[in-house]
Amino acid sequence: MRKRIIHYSILLAVIIVVNFFLPRLLPGSPVGTLLGDDPGSMPAEEKMGILAAYHLDKPLWEQFLLYLKDLFTLNWGDSYSKRQPIFQLIGAGVGWTVLLATANLVISSVVGTVLGAVSAMKRKKRHDLPIVLGTTMVSSLPSFWVAIFLVAIFGVRLGWFPIYGAYSMWGEHTGLAAVGDVLWHMVLPVTTMVITSLMMFFTTSRFGVLNAINQDYVRMARMRGIPNHRINLWYIMRNTMVPIFTIVMMDVGYLLSGSVLIETVFSYPGLGTLMYSAVSARDYPLIQYCFLLSSFVTILALFLADTLYHKVDPLMEVADAQ
Amino acid sequence: MRSKQIGIIGLCMLGFMVLVAIFAPLIAPYDPFTVTGAPFESPSGAHWLGTNDIGQDIFSELVYGTRTSLVVGFLSAFISTVIGVAAGVCSGWFGGWLDRLLMKVTTFFITIPFVPSLIILAVFVEPSMWATAIILGVMSWSSVARLVRSETMQIKTKEYITTIRAMGASSFYIITHHVIKELMPVILYRFSDRIKSGILSESSLAFLGLGDTISKSWGSIIYYAQNKNALLTGAWVWWIIPAGACICFVCFALILISYSSEAKKDIRNEV
Repeated sequence: MRKRIIHYSILLAVIIVVNFFLPRLLPGSPVGTLLGDDPGSMPAEEKMGILAAYHLDKPLWEQFLLYLKDLFTLNWGDSYSKRQPIFQLIGAGVGWTVLLATANLVISSVVGTVLGAVSAMKRKKRHDLPIVLGTTMVSSLPSFWVAIFLVAIFGVRLGWFPIYGAYSMWGEHTGLAAVGDVLWHMVLPVTTMVITSLMMFFTTSRFGVLNAINQDYVRMARMRGIPNHRINLWYIMRNTMVPIFTIVMMDVGYLLSGSVLIETVFSYPGLGTLMYSAVSARDYPLIQYCFLLSSFVTILALFLADTLYHKVDPLMEVADAQ
Repeated sequence: MRSKQIGIIGLCMLGFMVLVAIFAPLIAPYDPFTVTGAPFESPSGAHWLGTNDIGQDIFSELVYGTRTSLVVGFLSAFISTVIGVAAGVCSGWFGGWLDRLLMKVTTFFITIPFVPSLIILAVFVEPSMWATAIILGVMSWSSVARLVRSETMQIKTKEYITTIRAMGASSFYIITHHVIKELMPVILYRFSDRIKSGILSESSLAFLGLGDTISKSWGSIIYYAQNKNALLTGAWVWWIIPAGACICFVCFALILISYSSEAKKDIRNEV
């Protein structure tokens, strides 16, 4: 436990440091990028004002300390492309991103696991190759392309689902209607995410069940006359859960950070879209804090998953005890 | 036998794309960088897939985009495989403090949030095909290293390796002459898998507008199409679908190749 906390703290610290030094080490001074392409045309006082706001008029080590201070006191300054405090902008985005990622994780893990298990239990050997190749194919479709496809067909052509945002901008919804509205807007983005992440659960679950199905303890259980559904659930699935949990653990970070692309297509007001619009506007302070925050959320999720994983897998518990 | 045929099909598909990339100027009907028609033209005999927002031929853009995708895919895969194999072999073969150190670094790279890091690097580095490839390569070697390490540890215990060691062969000799040879299937499998991820990541970055905005790539074609509202005008059918289909085609070829190189090892085909 202590080891894990140390590991993730170091990771976080490195990211904080890199986030500070990256724009300063690379060619092109941060001053230039902050002031835009044509700093010459700007009045000197205005230039100094901008430099002072980002502490760029001080020596490097002092800049670093001020950066740390600002970071921890949540005094993140204003975004100049959005004209709003960065903290407020990011705070609004994190919730939506976590909502999407959680919905995706729950749906794709449950559906993928069940489908994988069923396909393994009702296996026909000659169907194996199409299943294996088909699933890998689907899982490597570019997510943004799938998203555009769904928008084009179900949003624009058929008009079944909204293609933009996380809630109706002009509708006055309260209570349950508002929840329904949010869910309504989640359908297409979550479907996209599920399509691209379902397959790894499917494959692992199928593989795990195929492995377990011929084990002696399963055969023994059958001989003892234990009903089939009980064997499937309590003997086979129980063992399959561990590898599935391993993927959840490995990919929780990817699921969170990968939503940038999908959010962009749907203009979903999460961290991803914020980061995207910051990138298009070359709003460097906002980009940096978006990066910090999404890294932070990812690392937190990884840490939680890692901790849980050690609880779920009995082998890990033994390894921990040693 | 079956898996061999699948691998050959994959190689043919990939080879076709490589040829398209090499002979792009001969295949493309127009220079994709010059304006050859009216903006937003629908497909016609002159422009098979229509024209984009400034009147460049979309089909020629696709043909030239093959170059970017393949170069970035291969180069990034090459970098990550070289780093990954070097780290994995050293770690697995020598063990001890070197192993612990390398595994610390590997775990670190595995837990770095991938997409945000890519974006922040792409923002601050001068955008070019080469920069994208190097960033992708350096960011994605860790999974290769892990796999190679565990394989190396298994190889190390093989009897003939112990015999050669007892005869006084140096570690360097054994690694370069025997370990690498034994690792080859794993390396090939990871290599083609990494090409696939490299191509996907490159197109994702380009789709976010973070690639080289001047060069043509499949991702940047979709980026411009999306930005010019191709979705609402119906132009997505010839503007977005073919570019995505190209990405899928190459990825599928690579999946077939890695499937067949993995088949010998993977239990999936035995059970």
